[in-house]
Amino acid sequence: MSLMRYLAKRVSHSIPTFIGALLFMFILVRVLPGDPARLIAGPEALEQDVQRIREQLGLDKPLYLQFVDYVTTLLRGDLGTSIKFRTPVINEIMARLPYTIVLALVAEAIAISVALPLGILSALRPNSKLSYVSSTISLLGASAPIFWVALMFIYVFSVSLRWLPSSGADSPRHIILPATTLALLLMGNLTRITRSSIIEASNSNHVLTAAAKGLRDRAILVRHVLKNAMIPIVTIMGLQIGSLLGGAIITETVYAWPGIGSLLIDAIFFRDYTLIQGIILFIVLTFIAINIIVDVVYALIDPRIRDLLWRTS
Amino acid sequence: MEKILEVIDLRVYYDLPQGSVKAIDGVDLDVVKGEILGIAGESGSGKSTLALTVSGLLRPPAKVVSGKVLFNGVDILKLKNDELRSIRGSKIGMIFQDPNTYLNPIYTVGFQVGEVFEAHRGGSLRKYLDEVVKLFKAVKIADPERRVNAYPHQMSGGMKQRVLISMAIAGEPELIVADEPTSALDVTVQAEIVELLNEIRDRMNTSVIFITHDLALLLEISNRVAIMYAGKLVEVGKSSEMLKDPLHPYTKALLSSLRYERKKKLASIKGSIPSLINPPSGCRFHMRCPYALPKCSQVEPKLVDVNGRKVACFLVGDGYGGSDKSH
Amino acid sequence: MLKKISEVKKKRLKEMWKVFKSNKAAYISLCVIISILGMILVGLVYTPYDPYDFNLRRVRQPPSLNHLLGTDELGRDILSRVMVGGRYTIGISLISVLIGTLLGTTLGLISGYFGGKIDALIQRIVDVALSFPTTLLAIALMVSLGPGMLSLIMAVSISTFPVYARLVRGAVLQLINEDYITAVKLLGRSSWHIMYRHVLPNVLSLIVVQSTYYLGFSILLASSLGFLGLGIPPPTPEWGAMIGGGRVYLFSSPHIVVFPGLFIMATALSFNLIGDGLRDALDPKSRMFFRRF
Repeated sequence: MSLMRYLAKRVSHSIPTFIGALLFMFILVRVLPGDPARLIAGPEALEQDVQRIREQLGLDKPLYLQFVDYVTTLLRGDLGTSIKFRTPVINEIMARLPYTIVLALVAEAIAISVALPLGILSALRPNSKLSYVSSTISLLGASAPIFWVALMFIYVFSVSLRWLPSSGADSPRHIILPATTLALLLMGNLTRITRSSIIEASNSNHVLTAAAKGLRDRAILVRHVLKNAMIPIVTIMGLQIGSLLGGAIITETVYAWPGIGSLLIDAIFFRDYTLIQGIILFIVLTFIAINIIVDVVYALIDPRIRDLLWRTS
Repeated sequence: MEKILEVIDLRVYYDLPQGSVKAIDGVDLDVVKGEILGIAGESGSGKSTLALTVSGLLRPPAKVVSGKVLFNGVDILKLKNDELRSIRGSKIGMIFQDPNTYLNPIYTVGFQVGEVFEAHRGGSLRKYLDEVVKLFKAVKIADPERRVNAYPHQMSGGMKQRVLISMAIAGEPELIVADEPTSALDVTVQAEIVELLNEIRDRMNTSVIFITHDLALLLEISNRVAIMYAGKLVEVGKSSEMLKDPLHPYTKALLSSLRYERKKKLASIKGSIPSLINPPSGCRFHMRCPYALPKCSQVEPKLVDVNGRKVACFLVGDGYGGSDKSH
Repeated sequence: MLKKISEVKKKRLKEMWKVFKSNKAAYISLCVIISILGMILVGLVYTPYDPYDFNLRRVRQPPSLNHLLGTDELGRDILSRVMVGGRYTIGISLISVLIGTLLGTTLGLISGYFGGKIDALIQRIVDVALSFPTTLLAIALMVSLGPGMLSLIMAVSISTFPVYARLVRGAVLQLINEDYITAVKLLGRSSWHIMYRHVLPNVLSLIVVQSTYYLGFSILLASSLGFLGLGIPPPTPEWGAMIGGGRVYLFSSPHIVVFPGLFIMATALSFNLIGDGLRDALDPKSRMFFRRF
């Protein structure tokens, strides 16, 4: 019950943020780049056609009214019509969304299954070879330009070795390269944070108590180090969703993976402003929603926060 | 006078990039069955390191350089990990300074106390619930049936310290090492905790090493007191005698600072503890000592018997501070 | 008195330099960055070939003695283009991080120090900026502002400032309750004086370390935008854009893509390693141990 209340509170807290994001988008789209009516009508259109579109879109009204219009249309779930495809933007997004979700999930799964064991082992054996492997991976993850890594993967695994397809999404094998590339972006930070949270947890005083009680190494490690370290690890996973979404845009573009990231870049080149705007808003809304979920999960694993939430709500 | 613990010529250094810190530098001490031995000293005197060494909890960068710690005649410094583990929590209980950070925030206190039973008797944690409730009653935690399910952050500092004490006594240990168990608590709570420890000692005939910088408290509760300064013992003796007639200048200074202000802090002596990376030659207290002789800065005084007490000072006893090798 | 303080500072700097130098990776990275900067400086006055001069008779040649890094799809010398392109990629990152740091730090200081309504307002702005994934925010800004160097600088700095604002605010909030700040306040010093003289120096090491990491990050961000064709329009040889241009020829002439990428990675990697070195030099406590019982 209290969890639902916390959720409601957290959602209402992010409403101003979302309105702010809308306002920001509105400013970017309507105020900065010139005349959207002219863009929609095309460069060869007659002035009277442009004027007609302007009136249709309500662009002749004062700006604040335009913003109200903009928000109310959005609230009805209407993201507008794609200029290029002449279909509702939401349909375009929904057609591409499953690909992005699958890519993101597979990438996250790869990242977790590599980063967690690597981070844990390198924290426990700070001077081992594995520790060097892990710090190398976390460095490369943080330093390699993802678009370049994607191209190198294509060159090595598709062009030279001919092991894997380089573009498209026709078979399950097609996801291996894009997901690995995206995972590499996440792995670095995840390994580093895993390592440092474990080191920090194992240096905390309650571990000394556990040792003083005569617990076995394994129990100390699992109960009093790993479980405590999970809290920052889950936090960083939540924070990384931004990188995941941003990285997906670039990865999808290089591998021609038909998700909403490559749709966005296509839309940019078609100058399809309603589609661009729709995709960006969609991603931002998703991002805000995921952050709320992460907060709730976070509250569930940490009793201190769980308790705080019971008391305040 | 059965000795339960003998510390012989113990040296523990911390290897740091800046050099090795000689936290304990040649300490001899024993604990008799059923007594409360107090250890007092300023922070940085090595008393906490001593507590960790005795309970087998030293971790790097700390390193035992030499010496023995005989617990019931067995040198615990030579024990294998697993043998040591079976002593910790069952034969030696440890109580730490800050109850706020020494409990794991993500488990209920009942779980954390139950772990002691689980570690030494095996089986599932759940079957020890009744024993945990009993322990909570023994350490006077109100409403123990409900409290076992509480998380640390839902309890007061004093209550948490009771939980930690219940953990330390769960295995009915022969020795309890209490490292500043009251200094993070309010004065009224302090008194309650001290009373509780006293009671436990009487009931279970456990020996207690009680470490604190609060000399007044120490003289009140312990049978014998050892005064530590810069990694060395300077005076060891019965509390009553030491209170009446302190021999070492450092003990004197500590006691007189007590008489002047009831704040009971040791920091009111002029100067500060010397660097333990390059400790001063001679007596380590000579720079702060009002009675220092020329030789005090060159020759190190030994801990010698003076009327049933042990003192390391040239001004006391035969005036030589023991049989120095150079003489 | 003043002389003594500067001597103490000098001594501390010397000590920090010693710790930094003892970290081999950081020291080597510093040398790498200095060499890359040196190469860029040389590029201002001399390049082996004209980086803009295309020659269709020598397109996509692999590395050779004449063209150490080969030629690109229009027959331009890649080494010359890398030498000239560095000033864009690295210059944009440096300026953006500088702007992002100044903006974020100022907002964070004000937010943390004054609290109340102004804090709430700034935090709302930061919330909005953080509700965009960083890459997406930069893309949105580039689409809106149009391609070009100025837009790129704006996009990258706007994408980085909110993190500083959060970080500095947090640090200030921690500091502000410390006794000595309260004591200075009681002396009747003005808020700006306290912030500048007492709060800022305490968060400075945090900012320096963070900025070094962000240099690495913004090189990746700026070159990503260049790669996507949203950065500086051709023929300017920005490193990311060079990769974007050569991408089509990956199958036959990978060297067009490989070399600029190596430079981006070397630069970003070096900044990250220098960041690690600085962190250790400024805060020795960050090194820790683990031991099993």
